[in-house]
Amino acid sequence: MSVLVTRDVHKTFGTQPVLNGVSFTADKSEVIAIIGPSGSGKSTFLRTLNGLEKVDRGSIKVLGRDVANATDLSRIRGKVGFVFQGFNLFSHLTILQNVMLAPIRVLKLKRAEAERLALQLLSRVGIAEHAGKYPSQISGGQQQRAAIARTLALQPEIVLFDEPTSALDPEMTAEVLDVLRELAKSGLTMLVVTHEMGFAREVASRIVFFDQGKIVADDQPRAFFENSENPRLKLFLSRILKH
Amino acid sequence: MKQLIHLGFAFAAIAVIFLILNFALPLCPEPIGSRADLFITGAKLTLVLTFYAGVIGLLLGTLAGVAKLQKNLLLRGVATFYTWLFRGTPLLVQILFIYFALPVVSPSFQFDEQTAAIIALALNVGAYNAEAIRGGLIAVPKGQTEAAVSLGLSPVQTLVWITLPQAFRISIPPLVSNLVALLKDSSLASSIGLLELSLVGNRVSSETFSPVPVLLTVAGIYLVITSVLTAAALPLEKKVRGEK
Ligand SMILES: Nc1ncnc2c1ncn2[C@@H]1O[C@H](COP(=O)(O)OP(=O)(O)OP(=O)(O)O)[C@@H](O)[C@H]1O
Ligand SMILES: [Mg+2]
Repeated sequence: MSVLVTRDVHKTFGTQPVLNGVSFTADKSEVIAIIGPSGSGKSTFLRTLNGLEKVDRGSIKVLGRDVANATDLSRIRGKVGFVFQGFNLFSHLTILQNVMLAPIRVLKLKRAEAERLALQLLSRVGIAEHAGKYPSQISGGQQQRAAIARTLALQPEIVLFDEPTSALDPEMTAEVLDVLRELAKSGLTMLVVTHEMGFAREVASRIVFFDQGKIVADDQPRAFFENSENPRLKLFLSRILKH
Repeated sequence: MKQLIHLGFAFAAIAVIFLILNFALPLCPEPIGSRADLFITGAKLTLVLTFYAGVIGLLLGTLAGVAKLQKNLLLRGVATFYTWLFRGTPLLVQILFIYFALPVVSPSFQFDEQTAAIIALALNVGAYNAEAIRGGLIAVPKGQTEAAVSLGLSPVQTLVWITLPQAFRISIPPLVSNLVALLKDSSLASSIGLLELSLVGNRVSSETFSPVPVLLTVAGIYLVITSVLTAAALPLEKKVRGEK
């Protein structure tokens, strides 16, 4: 069952075309890794999926709802989580308050209920003991795990991850990838923009390669790495696998 | 909210200062000691004007600062006109206008001296606060708004729970200096006959022919109050810099 369908999505910043006709489908519980060179439009594409970025042309259907032309996106946003490269935790709130905010304000849960949910999620991502701290007082890996808990608090059906580990050192990257692995097993539909090829190969059910605002390759991991015929993809992989 | 609590602390601290003044001023040599009551009454009125104008001015400044960043042309226009008008004309003229001219325009705008002074001071400091708040709002990282919006918060919820609280923190230094300026500017309320601290000084010094000790006392009381206000804001400023 497709939970996310885009058709021929176009997006231009000023005169610079960034998305040049992206057609893409994701089924329920799929874990899709999105890779591609810098500036190829991966973030922009992800951001169009929850309406952070408006598209110029094309259609986007998420969970059966039209996102491209929606006027009220708040309902769809509760179902589609977004995890940012820079975490974007609310700096004036504690970790616990960060996670409780949306359940209270959007889902209208009672404070006690929201707190129970938040603590449960924080222990799921392994940082319950930091609940009372401010974002600036914990490590990047812990911040990203808190941000994931914050997103999960809305019980989303799809979560979009934009380079969730790019701002982290290897040890913290491993912590966050562990959480992603666990989420993948739980049946959550996930789109993960990443440079972690090991993770993509091991966890993703599909890998999508973006280049110059287009999807150039889209396949299961084994096929993706073995039969990459596209010269741009070959070049990209040879560069990235060297590190 | 926490900011308001802190503001409350600042004024509580000033209440303590008053207790001290109540004891210290009567002990001063002539011509201060025997007129201690007068100085204290004047200082109280100065503080009352500052307090009400400060609170209303913070509200006005927040509304206008937010309005200035709206897409809606009417909101933006009204806020821009307001700040342009009150930053571009002398406070003295604003006070005189509200007290003397408004009742002529319409009798329903007839205010007593204190109310007129508070309205003028609030409108004036509000216009300056608007710029401070607007600057704070602009300085909130875009990622904060994007995270809020991605969690399904409405634009108003995002403003109330995320951007404004952070903007207040960023705006604390300019807001505090506006408050200090307001305290000093409240002396212009003497122009419509309000016996606030500076007018007390003026009267006592000409009555007693000893301007030096009298005006030094007045300046000293102003300094004590502004110092307490500034000191009360210090912990907040530290918080802005992330030293918790
Ligand atoms: N808000 C914006 N305004 C103008 N140009 C933008 C904006 N956002 C992105 N771009 C441009 O669009 C292009 C695609 O950016 P995007 O962030 O989607 O790439 P990316 O594939 O995520 O790259 P990276 O791997 O570096 O994150 C880039 O050239 C970028 O400069
Ligand atoms: Mg990107």
